[in-house]
Amino acid sequence: METSLASVVDELSQLRDQLDKEVTERKRAEAALLESERESRLIVDRIPGLVATLTPAGEVEGVNNQVLEYCGRTLEELKQWGTSDTVHPEDLPRVIEVITQSMASGDPHEIEERIRRFDGVYRWFQVRGLPLRDSNGRIVRWYVLLTDIDARKRAEAQLAGEKRLLEMVASSCPLTEVLTALCKFVEVISADCHCGVYLIDWSGPRFRNGAVPSLPATFNDPIDGLPVRREIGPCGQAALFKRQVIVTDLETDPLWQESAIRPLALAHGIRSHWSTPIYARDGRVLGTFAIFHREPASPTQIQQDLIAQVTHIASIAIERASSEAALKRSEAFLAEAQHLSRVGSFAWRVATNEITWSEQLYRIFEFDPQVTVTLDLIGTRVHPEDLTLLHEMIDRARSAASDFEYEHRLLMPDGSVKHLHLIAHGTKTESGEVEYIGATQEVTQRRLAEEALDKARSELAHVTRVMSLGALTASIAHEVNQPLSGIITNASTCLRMLDADPPNVDGARETAKRTIRDGNRASDVVTRLRALFSKKELTLESLDLNEAAREVIALCSSELQRNRVVLQSELADDLPPVKGDRVQLQQVILNLLRNASDAMVAVDDRPRQLMIRTERDPGDRVRLTVKDVGEGLDSHTVDKLFEAFYTTKPSGMGIGLSVSRSIIESHHGRIWAEPNDGPGATFAFAIPYAVERTV
Amino acid sequence: MTRSLVAVVDDDESVRESLPDLLRELGFVVHAFSSAEEFLASEFLDNTECLILDVAMPGMSGPALQQELRRRRRRIPIVFITAHVDENICTQVLEAGAVACLLKPFTETALLDAVMKGLRNP
Repeated sequence: METSLASVVDELSQLRDQLDKEVTERKRAEAALLESERESRLIVDRIPGLVATLTPAGEVEGVNNQVLEYCGRTLEELKQWGTSDTVHPEDLPRVIEVITQSMASGDPHEIEERIRRFDGVYRWFQVRGLPLRDSNGRIVRWYVLLTDIDARKRAEAQLAGEKRLLEMVASSCPLTEVLTALCKFVEVISADCHCGVYLIDWSGPRFRNGAVPSLPATFNDPIDGLPVRREIGPCGQAALFKRQVIVTDLETDPLWQESAIRPLALAHGIRSHWSTPIYARDGRVLGTFAIFHREPASPTQIQQDLIAQVTHIASIAIERASSEAALKRSEAFLAEAQHLSRVGSFAWRVATNEITWSEQLYRIFEFDPQVTVTLDLIGTRVHPEDLTLLHEMIDRARSAASDFEYEHRLLMPDGSVKHLHLIAHGTKTESGEVEYIGATQEVTQRRLAEEALDKARSELAHVTRVMSLGALTASIAHEVNQPLSGIITNASTCLRMLDADPPNVDGARETAKRTIRDGNRASDVVTRLRALFSKKELTLESLDLNEAAREVIALCSSELQRNRVVLQSELADDLPPVKGDRVQLQQVILNLLRNASDAMVAVDDRPRQLMIRTERDPGDRVRLTVKDVGEGLDSHTVDKLFEAFYTTKPSGMGIGLSVSRSIIESHHGRIWAEPNDGPGATFAFAIPYAVERTV
Repeated sequence: MTRSLVAVVDDDESVRESLPDLLRELGFVVHAFSSAEEFLASEFLDNTECLILDVAMPGMSGPALQQELRRRRRRIPIVFITAHVDENICTQVLEAGAVACLLKPFTETALLDAVMKGLRNP
């Protein structure tokens, strides 16, 4: 028994020693652990960053001092983060979701979230959590590192905002929209402020509210239209003196006690007012950018950078809007001017046949502005009789980049006719491509008026001619009637004398003599008249018939063109000079050209071709030929053509060709006419060259 | 019956030669004058019973002489003769009281009819 007791005591003693040892060991170990934890705690606290530890279940276990200081909250308070405003309410659901998932899977997590600072300001943090595992791989604890990324976030947001604003400008958003977005952008980036853009109408000069989105009309309306003067307030001074004006406190700043804006601002709770001029590229002030605060405030460097950035964007937006408005206005002016003057403009790239038309040209041609203009399409509107002219014009334009001018007609679908006057200027690009830029004017009214005028003029000319002919007839009649009267009276007397009983033969003889005398007198009158009409002095000079012809062509080309006559000239190079009366020969040429043109008036089924040609003629003569494709000649009447008072024209006097003949004959030449093989007739004259003439 | 006195006023010499001869053959006493002024100044102004008067003359024209005679209350019947084919003149002088207006050349019958008409209705 004793032995067993002793052994028990011994055993117990050993156990106690062992226990003591174990206790000591454990205490030492615990102390070591405490020491190590204290050390790690110290390390964590000294890490220049925010660190937190979480239990494997995700609850906040501990945070370092930096976290406590940043948040201004106790650990116990922070443990409630999931239901407090420590994490920004907008971010909270996402943060909880990510952490829950991470805890479940054991994977590290990384979140960007806003965390409330002690003063209530949220700053962006990057939050990274890493698990600590034991030897069995079980998660013992989470280490969470919070990195302040607010500056980066802010810069990113600012950049994105600026990009969005520039995109709005580039996509031609209305200016008010752009400026409103700009103000809102600044209000978001730089919290607790109100922004406004005030445009300046320098014609006043007056302020116009560009955009002041977050202030009420009671503040905005009185400002809109205020004159740009320094006493108005910071904006007036900023605009006039081209410098930034910072008013930290409107209420106390002595400089602004009298300013117009002060009572208004104070009434709306505004204390600080910063105004920055918005410059155009050329240095003009386009407006001002204002930031208002409800507390006294002066800008930080970050705010100054932001102001510099947004005033630059505002300047781009305003300038762009005004240049767009100016462009639109000038486009509208041009369109209106074209409409009023009935002038359309066009461009024609010859190589590619690319044609660009102005709106007005579409209107003139009555084409849908959507259609693509081609030469073929134009051809469908051009008057059939003028198509030859058009093709000729196109061919000529293709061959050389020279300027050209044409008049032609359009035949509209409703059968009406429009007259167009076209002027084009040709240029060659560096690559040698020909391009025309031109204007087309509708001259229908003018052409109709001209035609009416021409008609009136020719009627007047005809009346004048008829009247002078009447006067001439009267004068001829008087001259002839006088002797005729004598002849009849004398003859009557003569008969009476012979009938008398006895016949008075002497008296009869006397009166018969007088009859003869009066007869001669009548004959003299006729001779005198002929002399009057035929005898003209010739002014002889050595002249180039080609040159004389060219002058006539120049003189009547517009008349020919108006009659839609296509004139071709083949003037011989080796033509010897002739001696003659320039004016008279030109009268003949003009007469032949006019006759030819008149002969083609009714020709509508073929081009009105008129050919004038000069050449040497056998027998030392120079010949001029005028060939038309008109009505042609009746072979019976060819001989009569050159007789005076013979005419085939309803309005003609029939003296042109007879005068022409007398002129040519006085030049010792010959004039003749013959029908063509095809349609029309040919008139020609030939006069000798280098021949002495007596007149 | 005494032969009536007829005066001829015309600047054309051949008329002054031929017309009086014919009138004399027709049985009148004729005096010819080369101008209106000459007639007005002549001694025959008062006893002229019919005046044959050219329209267009240098100096005083026929219609002007007609006016002048009217002004002097000389009611001499006037037969106008004219080589001008102008009916307006004829209308004008007839309205002013002329007996006839003959266009040259005229026939003997036309002349005689006109003169006789004038002598019947002084």
